[in-house]
Amino acid sequence: MPGANGKQQPRSVRDIGRRSERLAHVAVEELMPLPAPYDVSEDFPGIAPLKDETRARYGASATLDDTLAAGIPQPATEEDERKIVEAFLSGLRKLFSRENNWTFLQPLVLSMEHCARCQTCAADCPVFEASGRNELYRPTFRAEVLRRLYFRHVKPGGAWYNTFHSSGLELTYDLVARLFELAYRCTLCRRCAQSCPIGVDNGLITHDLRKLFSQELGWAPKELHNKGTVQQLTLGSSTGMNKLVVKDNIEFIDEDMSERLGWEVKTPWDVQGADMLVIENAGEFLAWPENHGCTAAILNGAGLSWTMSSEIAGYDGVNYGLFYDDVQLARVATRHFRIAKQLGVKKIVMGECGHEHKALGVIADRVGLDLVPRESLLTLVRDIVYSGAINVDPSRNDFPVTLHDPCNIVRNMGIVQPQRDVLRKICPQFREMTPHGIRNYCCGGGSGFAIMSPNNFEQWRNLISSRKKFAQILGAFADTELNDPEQKKYVCAPCSNCKGAIRDMLDFYGAKEKSGIYYGGLVELVVNAMAGAAEPILDWEMM
Amino acid sequence: MSLFHIVIYGSLLIFIVAILARAARIMRMPLHLRWELQPVPHERPGASTFERVDWWTHSRDRSRFGELSIMIPEILLLKGVWEHNRGLWFASWTLHFGLYLLIGAMVVILLHAVLLVAGVLADAFVPVVLAAVTRPLAIAGGALGTVGAIAMLIRRITEPGMRRYATAGHFVNLAHLGAIYVTALLWALLDGGFVAETATLYAGVLTAAPLPSLPLIGYLNVAIVLLFFIYLPFTHMTHFFTKYFTYHMVRWEDTPNTAGGRLEEKIRRNVSQPVSWAAAHVGANGKKTWLDLVADTGEVKRETEEA
Repeated sequence: MPGANGKQQPRSVRDIGRRSERLAHVAVEELMPLPAPYDVSEDFPGIAPLKDETRARYGASATLDDTLAAGIPQPATEEDERKIVEAFLSGLRKLFSRENNWTFLQPLVLSMEHCARCQTCAADCPVFEASGRNELYRPTFRAEVLRRLYFRHVKPGGAWYNTFHSSGLELTYDLVARLFELAYRCTLCRRCAQSCPIGVDNGLITHDLRKLFSQELGWAPKELHNKGTVQQLTLGSSTGMNKLVVKDNIEFIDEDMSERLGWEVKTPWDVQGADMLVIENAGEFLAWPENHGCTAAILNGAGLSWTMSSEIAGYDGVNYGLFYDDVQLARVATRHFRIAKQLGVKKIVMGECGHEHKALGVIADRVGLDLVPRESLLTLVRDIVYSGAINVDPSRNDFPVTLHDPCNIVRNMGIVQPQRDVLRKICPQFREMTPHGIRNYCCGGGSGFAIMSPNNFEQWRNLISSRKKFAQILGAFADTELNDPEQKKYVCAPCSNCKGAIRDMLDFYGAKEKSGIYYGGLVELVVNAMAGAAEPILDWEMM
Repeated sequence: MSLFHIVIYGSLLIFIVAILARAARIMRMPLHLRWELQPVPHERPGASTFERVDWWTHSRDRSRFGELSIMIPEILLLKGVWEHNRGLWFASWTLHFGLYLLIGAMVVILLHAVLLVAGVLADAFVPVVLAAVTRPLAIAGGALGTVGAIAMLIRRITEPGMRRYATAGHFVNLAHLGAIYVTALLWALLDGGFVAETATLYAGVLTAAPLPSLPLIGYLNVAIVLLFFIYLPFTHMTHFFTKYFTYHMVRWEDTPNTAGGRLEEKIRRNVSQPVSWAAAHVGANGKKTWLDLVADTGEVKRETEEA
């Protein structure tokens, strides 16, 4: 809908329920500018239009912003639409009931009832800023939709009084379909929540909106549900690897790493009574196998007692339930705890995966009883590096290195220093991004976006949700030659999903070819610095 | 006891009961999953619990000073707004600080009234001091708040983001607050008997003794303030105290679930509740508890097989 300054954006919250061809559109020239040599908008065409058949199939959910991340097929009849609206309403009421949403009822109600609509949060949202401040992506927009529905349909107090305090909003099928899609335009980075003076959390509101759709209507992106938690709980991993395949892959990784280092690296499996169970994001084994190889090399080098598990879900630390469904979150976490108990380990060590840290390390702390302590690999690696258990030679990492802070590890858990301590010891040219630490910007792949690429969603992610992070990366290397691809630069991202998003953004903007910007994890830098290795682990040609 | 007494007691009673009910409603909500957000200021400055190997074997550092160092600048100076929304800060700070000063004036008047009731002579040192600060506090609060209410009204109307999300309630709230500030300012500024009248009024309320006659502006101010007492607990302005919960029970709530710890019973109660979400993969039927549902993945398996 045309709004101020000719932008296609909603003029009011009510527009979300009004039938129209599209609610918003972001043109490339409206996006937040990037520095040279990435400032030529002709080099980066906008988001490709959805195909006609996609539009026809997905109907109202394809009329949000010319992008489709999840989508729901258009119901055949008005009666079907009405049933969906009723189901949504039923889910809305459950979302505010003690039995069904004890998991987040208190913070949700606090956020629903006390927002002053001061918009202090808006400036801190990287999606809103990168989009050129398109109203659709303002962090309060979708929150306000849910708030108005809550005041009108759930909160006691009378329709008139509640409308007086929260305005009205007609609940239509178009609203429900668009709201589902809109729940997947926020990375849940919670930067906006940090800036709210009252403590309102728009990230939580989005998170609970996704839950409503998943737990009541069974609506969720297939990458998170069918291919995500369901596959992990039934087959063993969201990657689709069963235990035979994963053990085979790890054996290959160990052999390759042994060859490159010149000493044996071996991953122990199902060791009863080991000190620690290491659970990594299994996506690493396929996309960045050296990450596991380096983790194993460090743990072996330090002489620690550790094991991996070949049980279902035991070798995959991802927990996409964190992003959309509390029941699925609890199922995966419960499985992880049960496996650790059966092995009799003293603790679970979480690999370089941000959302695993948040899901297993913090959120899962109250999904049940009789838990097992969890610890970050980053913390453990810091202690190993500083203990002298492995020898490191910083001159092997003498190239510009910057650090991306995964939101789940830093903003949500406060693990800020260990990874920095390591980098300061092993990377002479380490430099920070601005801002960093707990005020970092999301990679743009948070909340599952890194693994979602249906239709044209990957373009949306690269152009909008990852844009701020890309600008930050360029800023961190501003003192180097950004037009020189021969000067290698390394973005250290100790999180699988963040690496996925950074990989895609660097490819999208051609940053490797134009500026020599590469990416990888933390353990790769540690092992690359290990003295005596037969060959460097970082192979720029292969990265 | 006059009708005026009844109106005052009734308004105060509604305010107190409604605020307590709201607080009780929030506090009685189930223990939620952890959802803390950095910075968590009771941790060691710059060092999270999770930054230690075997963190559960260390005692948890908790610093009240850390929390106060965040809360005081936030409450008194609106530090968050200053840092993240500078354009709003002047309007917001004047609006809020004006209220703090007026509340300060009311506390001073209350102390003054208590001394009067206790029989302390009006020309004793403490009553004289209290009397001396009452009027400047009320004038400053009224003036600052008036500026703030007008500035906030302008901001609400002219800033597109704020205008788009404003409700009728926002404008009524601002008008209401503005009316309190303006009448308090005019009463304190123009009425020579302001200090004596307010102290006697409060003393009368404390003892149910006859209340003094007030000038028209005084009656107007008292009426608007009493209406505010009745109205406020039902609005988002209750953030003045619910902010405690958003910070202490959500953002900074990081108590770990340890075996035999104080959270166990609450968690046991939570996971024993029946669940009725309708999606097939959840597998709920209104009887199965959360614990039943997450213990196995039977429903997920069936869903996969059907697919």
